[in-house]
Amino acid sequence: MREAPELQERAQELAGRPLGRVRLVTDTTEFMALEPGDVVEMEGQRFVLLGTEFEGRFGLDEQPKHWVKRARDLADGSARILKLVFHEEFVLPIGQFKIRCFRSPAKEARILELVRGHPHFMQGRTLYDAAGNPVRVLERIRGGPLDQHLSDMEMEHEQYYQRHLRGVLERLVQVFEALAYLHRQGERHGDVRRDHVFVDNDSGTWRWIDFDYNFDFRENPYGLDLFGLGNILAYAVARGEVTFYWLKRQRPELAAGLSADDFSPIIKNRLMNLGKFFPYLPPRLNNVLLHFSTGSRLFYQRVEELLEELGPALEDLPRPAPEEAS
Amino acid sequence: MILWNRILAAVDDKEASQQAVRYLAGVLGGSDTCRVLLLAVLQRPLADAVPDPAQRKAVTEEKRRHLAESLAAARQELVAAGIPAANVEVHLEVAGGRTVGETILARQAQGGYGTVVVGRRNLTKAEEFLFGSVSSDVVHRASNFSVWVVA
Repeated sequence: MREAPELQERAQELAGRPLGRVRLVTDTTEFMALEPGDVVEMEGQRFVLLGTEFEGRFGLDEQPKHWVKRARDLADGSARILKLVFHEEFVLPIGQFKIRCFRSPAKEARILELVRGHPHFMQGRTLYDAAGNPVRVLERIRGGPLDQHLSDMEMEHEQYYQRHLRGVLERLVQVFEALAYLHRQGERHGDVRRDHVFVDNDSGTWRWIDFDYNFDFRENPYGLDLFGLGNILAYAVARGEVTFYWLKRQRPELAAGLSADDFSPIIKNRLMNLGKFFPYLPPRLNNVLLHFSTGSRLFYQRVEELLEELGPALEDLPRPAPEEAS
Repeated sequence: MILWNRILAAVDDKEASQQAVRYLAGVLGGSDTCRVLLLAVLQRPLADAVPDPAQRKAVTEEKRRHLAESLAAARQELVAAGIPAANVEVHLEVAGGRTVGETILARQAQGGYGTVVVGRRNLTKAEEFLFGSVSSDVVHRASNFSVWVVA
């Protein structure tokens, strides 16, 4: 790292504000020491850092991700996200389980290569810094997470069902198919959540983001991804989470008639048998949701198995007028 | 060609597998008409999980040693039950990119085994949903051969 006054003018121009100093960084190992205005150089390409990204789980408790930097390409000024190397191993609580997860920059770099040009994945490439760190240089997606997109549709659920659900699920099928493609290549997403499907405002496509989580599940290698798909599907159908506690307050008579079989086997208060709450849901769609419930005798092991049943189930949903399709 | 007297029994270091071997010894004990393959499947740790090659090798060898011990103990149990030693083979196979269930099924198809024997752990629905089950996988995909699930 050295002071680089020769880069000051261009860095300030891209940052849109005066910068106290500009340093040229060739080794990103100590990412906590990096500051806005620093210029990172990798394989002859330079990026000025603008700040640190934040992430919260579903919009709550936003935490800085110090290894993820907002940046601009010094050559053409394009907006980029730099994901620096951060090896992290942690225990992820999922329902009653504690799952050992780890963050793998190598995995995300592999997947970026696999999905190059695929419309339903974030795009980027990997550049290596002088210390050999694989830094993922990502294209910034203008838009927001799926849950925000859905919650922006302010209307009664039945209206959502009549006008939008089919369009929403048709788009969801596209991102599920994209995940099946990833699985066929022997990779998994690792952190399938509704805020990891990003709605791209420019192209209108829905894209998977953030592939650097991994876990060592061998007998059911795609189980955690499928669990996430079930949650996303239920969220999209209900346009929110329907939990036992919420039902007990809002519809106590209905809550009293539910059994453990109606809920997720993992998140035991999350209703998966949504047909009991939304009686107008077609049985074929509800049957797909039931595969993610405790009462299911057979769980999906492959995304293709889910799609084989979800695709035909969409035929039973109301077809919206073209101007109303989301 | 499927040969009904050829039996493939899956072995690992878990109690459910040992219970399946005991059951097999009880059923086949004294018979000299059956041929048994005791198969253990080795899953190497993921390179993403254990990036250091030396550490990965050490973990793999530890697993290999455990499985080899389990295979030897299972063979001893069957022979002690009166199955001729020449009729009991052992094999340790590396899964590669496959699951244990897929590896068992591939070996079954390759060897024309008419019966596959697996132990079943007492998994909750939630565990089966997330982590999967070898016995469920084998039963789910079985075609034109018998599966004995010992629970």
